[in-house]
Amino acid sequence: MKTMRLKTKKSNSHNKKSIWKRMRKYKVLYLFLLPAIVFFFIFGYIPMYGVTLAFKEFRFDTGILMSPWVGLKYVEKFFSYFQFRLLIRNSFLISFLKLLFGFPAPIILAIMLNEVRAKKFKRVFQTVSYLPYFVSWVVVATIFTKFLSPHQGLFNELRMAMDKEPIFFLGIVKYFYIVIVTSDIWKNVGFNSIIYLAALSSISPMLYEAASIDGAGKWKKIIHITLPSILPTVGILFILSMSGLLRAGYEQIILFQQPPTIPVSEVLETYSVKVGLQQGQYSYATVVGLFQSIVSLILIVTTNKIAKKVSDTSLW
Amino acid sequence: MMVIKESTGEKVFKVFNYSFLTSLGFLTFYPFFYVLILSLNDGFDSLKGGLYFWPRELTLQNYIKAFEDPLILNAFSISIFRTVVGTFLCVLLTALAGYALARKDLPGRGIITFFFFFTTIFSGGLIPFFILLRSLRLTSSIWIYVLPYLYQFFNIIIMRTYFQTIPNEIRESAVIDGCGELKMFFKIFFPLSLPMIATITLFYGVGHWNDWFVGAFFVADKNLKPAATILQKILSETNFEQATDTNRMNFNINRAKTTPEALRMAFLMITTLPILCVYPFLQKYFIKGIMIGSIKG
Repeated sequence: MKTMRLKTKKSNSHNKKSIWKRMRKYKVLYLFLLPAIVFFFIFGYIPMYGVTLAFKEFRFDTGILMSPWVGLKYVEKFFSYFQFRLLIRNSFLISFLKLLFGFPAPIILAIMLNEVRAKKFKRVFQTVSYLPYFVSWVVVATIFTKFLSPHQGLFNELRMAMDKEPIFFLGIVKYFYIVIVTSDIWKNVGFNSIIYLAALSSISPMLYEAASIDGAGKWKKIIHITLPSILPTVGILFILSMSGLLRAGYEQIILFQQPPTIPVSEVLETYSVKVGLQQGQYSYATVVGLFQSIVSLILIVTTNKIAKKVSDTSLW
Repeated sequence: MMVIKESTGEKVFKVFNYSFLTSLGFLTFYPFFYVLILSLNDGFDSLKGGLYFWPRELTLQNYIKAFEDPLILNAFSISIFRTVVGTFLCVLLTALAGYALARKDLPGRGIITFFFFFTTIFSGGLIPFFILLRSLRLTSSIWIYVLPYLYQFFNIIIMRTYFQTIPNEIRESAVIDGCGELKMFFKIFFPLSLPMIATITLFYGVGHWNDWFVGAFFVADKNLKPAATILQKILSETNFEQATDTNRMNFNINRAKTTPEALRMAFLMITTLPILCVYPFLQKYFIKGIMIGSIKG
């Protein structure tokens, strides 16, 4: 211990002189990192500079750097857009509903799966439940569309067998959120339960045995042993997912969106794709994206601060 | 050994639990199976409905027709290129970066990590990113699928965390034997981390194979679109021909033998099958990967 301290002191006094020497010692490691540094600079930080486009009039011939400044023109345009509040409402509502139902689902699944003693059953179930996570949203959207289709959709075939009229589920406003939340859970619940299963497997079986001797039933054991044991994991993941509160998941929504459902399905991300990439209003779409980025940054910084205060966990 | 007899309540719970999980498993698996049946059944016969558990008129016609389209063959070659080349570069570079950051004595390690991390919490957004890609002339190049997606911060972190679990004695003894960093990485650390390499290979590979967004919104050239984008177009357009109108004639002939709907199902199966074949074998690795990734670094 003493020699350790001596050594660090010595290196501290030589710090200024030897910093280059020290760094040269690691030159191969810096070489390993160099592509990453270049990559994040180009594809992460240059677009960050690109947000200045929100206050400029984009010109194809000059690029972002030399485009003329226009002040808050496009910011005002966005804030006075007549559906501005609708966009915020939809973005918030969809991500909130996904959190409300999608967050507890893998916890419940993990608890139920943890009670399964048949090893083979468990393994087969897990393999099957991860499957939708690995296929793309395109495939998931297609499968849902196929099942819900008014022409030969399995759901409507069943309805017709019961002498009911077929329904165009994806084209009706009141079903949209149900479809979005259900498909989100269907795709992710199995995979997301992995982390909780890991937490559950670390609970000592002695606790359950002791509770059984005291006469506790299954339900009581779940309430008093299982849940408190995984609470830290639940807490961390909840805080993490809070920061995504305005991110509704554009891939999924673009794929499920039908013209009749646009009033409830248009969110900031899909709107930005539409006005930016499809209509070419670059400056305006940059404002939409910037708004979203700022809100996300505020959310993540705030939740991280709260997390630091409430528990020891934080992102940085 | 004391055996505790199950109460009626526990039995009820058990029955409920198993039947719930069985139905959930069925609801997860059946849709894929249903698509498989439709893709293997004669297209015109499928129109009659009532196909639930087994194909009525078994045929491979849909698959054969799907592969006859040159645009689709081209799309698959692009998908394969980006998945193989992209994943290879992603895994190699991510592992190298994770290896360097795993060294706690590396000067500037914290700053570099934050430099990477910050891009995950704040981004310039879609449009500045797109304009950058265009000014780099990437939007008309196949490298648009590879270069802007070389690293994922989360994967760097799980690699770093895994490398840190390898005992330091191994490094020390290798250093004594005169082993340099490059050799240390390729001969010692890389082989020792194969479970984690498998995990990030799966994550990157699936990401490349499944991505349709870049091809749909950033790339204009039809011959540069990957299979996932073509799939999305085919599925979102009511008419199969519209998505592949380069050879409309060809398809009009084809339609005599099958229906657009049956072709769609076959195409969906073709794009899903490679994933179905790979992920179950990597299951035990990615479970580990997620557990390691969840540890704060």
